[in-house]
Amino acid sequence: MITIDEIDNFIDKIPPAPKALKETLALLSEGELMKAAKVAEQEIVLRTYLKNLVNKPVYGFQNEVNEVSQIFGILGVAGSQQAVYNYMLTLLSPKKWVLFDLNEKIFYELQAELSVRYNKILKHLKITDKDIQSAISLVPASIIVAEAFFKNHKNDVELIKTTSALDYNTILKRLSGMDLFDICERISMKWEMPSKVSQVLQTASGIKPSSKQEINNVGKWIHLLLFYELSQPIFIEAGLNDFIDFQVDFVQDIYEEFIKIMEVER
Amino acid sequence: MRAIVKNGIAVFYPQGFLDGSSAESMISIDDIKATEGLKTDLVLVSLQKVIFFNKNGLETFVRMLTKVRKANHSKIGFCDYDLKKFNSIMNFFKDELSFSLFNSLDTASLFASSFKNQKKNVLVFNESKSQRSVMAIDLHNYGHNPIIAQTQKEFDEKKKNTKAYDVIIENTHIGSMENGSISARVSGNAIIYNIASFLDASITNSFNIYYHNNSLKAGFRLFIFEAYQVVNMNVHAVNFFSKLASSAAEYNATICFVGLSTEKTTKKFHETLEDSGIMFFEQLDTLLDDKKLLAELGASTSTNAKDKRSLNKAMITQLPNFIEATVDTIKMMTNAEAKKESASIYTIKIQETENKIASSIGFYGDIDGMIVLIFPKNIAKKACELLIGEETDDKELIMDALGEFVNIIGGKIKSLLADNNIRIKITLPRTYDEVSELLTVADNRKGVQVDLTFDNDHFSFFLTR
Repeated sequence: MITIDEIDNFIDKIPPAPKALKETLALLSEGELMKAAKVAEQEIVLRTYLKNLVNKPVYGFQNEVNEVSQIFGILGVAGSQQAVYNYMLTLLSPKKWVLFDLNEKIFYELQAELSVRYNKILKHLKITDKDIQSAISLVPASIIVAEAFFKNHKNDVELIKTTSALDYNTILKRLSGMDLFDICERISMKWEMPSKVSQVLQTASGIKPSSKQEINNVGKWIHLLLFYELSQPIFIEAGLNDFIDFQVDFVQDIYEEFIKIMEVER
Repeated sequence: MRAIVKNGIAVFYPQGFLDGSSAESMISIDDIKATEGLKTDLVLVSLQKVIFFNKNGLETFVRMLTKVRKANHSKIGFCDYDLKKFNSIMNFFKDELSFSLFNSLDTASLFASSFKNQKKNVLVFNESKSQRSVMAIDLHNYGHNPIIAQTQKEFDEKKKNTKAYDVIIENTHIGSMENGSISARVSGNAIIYNIASFLDASITNSFNIYYHNNSLKAGFRLFIFEAYQVVNMNVHAVNFFSKLASSAAEYNATICFVGLSTEKTTKKFHETLEDSGIMFFEQLDTLLDDKKLLAELGASTSTNAKDKRSLNKAMITQLPNFIEATVDTIKMMTNAEAKKESASIYTIKIQETENKIASSIGFYGDIDGMIVLIFPKNIAKKACELLIGEETDDKELIMDALGEFVNIIGGKIKSLLADNNIRIKITLPRTYDEVSELLTVADNRKGVQVDLTFDNDHFSFFLTR
């Protein structure tokens, strides 16, 4: 169904990060918010994306925010970096979704909700590391990769899934030796993202715990956050609830804390 | 979300957080209709991957599953939970549990007419005396040996001796509405139904005719009604059994009653049943131990050879779809390229029977017949690796996965034929770890045989009626 050659071919075809984005990210990492905003302002699609993103209800701004400089000012360095990475990811997302019942609007909604709730978690954990803050942006890449590889095998995979409780990640791993998160890591390398981003992402898969305590802990929170989001009707109906395997044991020790932070009604 | 079916149990596997709104999105009306069509003994929701649930979430699932119960008499409920989750559910519903709770899928399988889990020594404990009794009766009816602990202390003592029991049941509850259907179990090549009390017209609702018909399709030829607990029957029940015997005769199958004395039924009814071909025996064990008698009654698949129907035009026209579905599925599961070697219409011909395993799956509807697949062991292993997740030589595991794999092929055939407006249903697959065993079913049957190679491994496909 899917071979390692197809995976290599997919990765080869991923375009390098656009020059303006690289420049924006470089300026952001130096803390030059206004200079970064000036560069980003010239990228019309990025500007529109950022405007749509931060004006979503989940961000909770009462007045509409229009200027990139305003947006970067509100989000701060780490938040802006996260938003630019979120945008980079949309460059990979398909125009028409086949495997998952998604569209641009729902996908952006997922990105926004993950970002806002993740920032809440980081605040609780008192983590200020910029790279760790950016890590959440790469998580939805696993959904894009699953869509890319399985869209032409939708009926076949559904047949497999009616006999065995297998998720897309497991099927891909068993067929090719690589899983969705390995492919996302390759994307992050190609886009020269900090290595911590992919380390957190791999841990967030729930099946590859990290030996580094901080990374492992953040990975756990992201794994639980992902399933919290994917348990919302809109994402269940999109077919995302079982796209990877939820590792309950991995997140058991943070569950009570998570419930409190997210204010889940019992 | 579609239910996954294994051993006669359909299971939904939700993940994450389960509340009223998420539960509604997880199972749609279409999913429920598809589950009704499966005609399984049990329909469950696994809570293994659910980290949070509330009463609304569970109630939504119960409401949906109740529809399946009404249509099929299936038992419904939840499985795969820990003590904390069990206590939460009991607390939510108090004494109004109309559904069942099984601490694991293994426990649930003891309460299903699956092909496994027979004659298991099962240690049971429940604080409720009535629950203990219900479980004891059900387990006995399903052919197991329940050992009931009357107190927690007795249970704790007994369960220390782990070797004495095949399964230990605790934190399990049988729902108050879970009755009414006739249980079935398999012994060798015979299917045994358990019937009790006064039999009247309601037997048409409590007897799973789909399961029975599928069993006929899958090659079972002896059906035994265990009737020790039958008090009497009326003319409607007699008519039901007479019709069942007539339809069984079309498959050359036999229907027997054990433990139904003439004192329990009127002489006239007894004669009517005998005239329709039903046979009577006093004891089940005596019957099952008499291998020669069993063979004569049809509990050997060799009687199948008498049923030699030819392929018809409708089947031949659809042959490319059958082949395409099979080849595509094997390709999909193994990434191996297929090459067609030869095709012939005659009886099945297997050049080498060593190191081969096989499976057959029946289908019925607009067209009917049987597909036989003969795999070299290594290609079957390779095809099953995706489902098992690792290389293995465990024969039981491979045969289990082969059944699932052939089910996927059956599903693909069903969908390809549906594209051509041909509606079929597929039976449960039968697997054969020796080709000689398969030949007792398929030898001398006329059909189309297509020989293929997958990366130089020979594979045979045989389509027959």
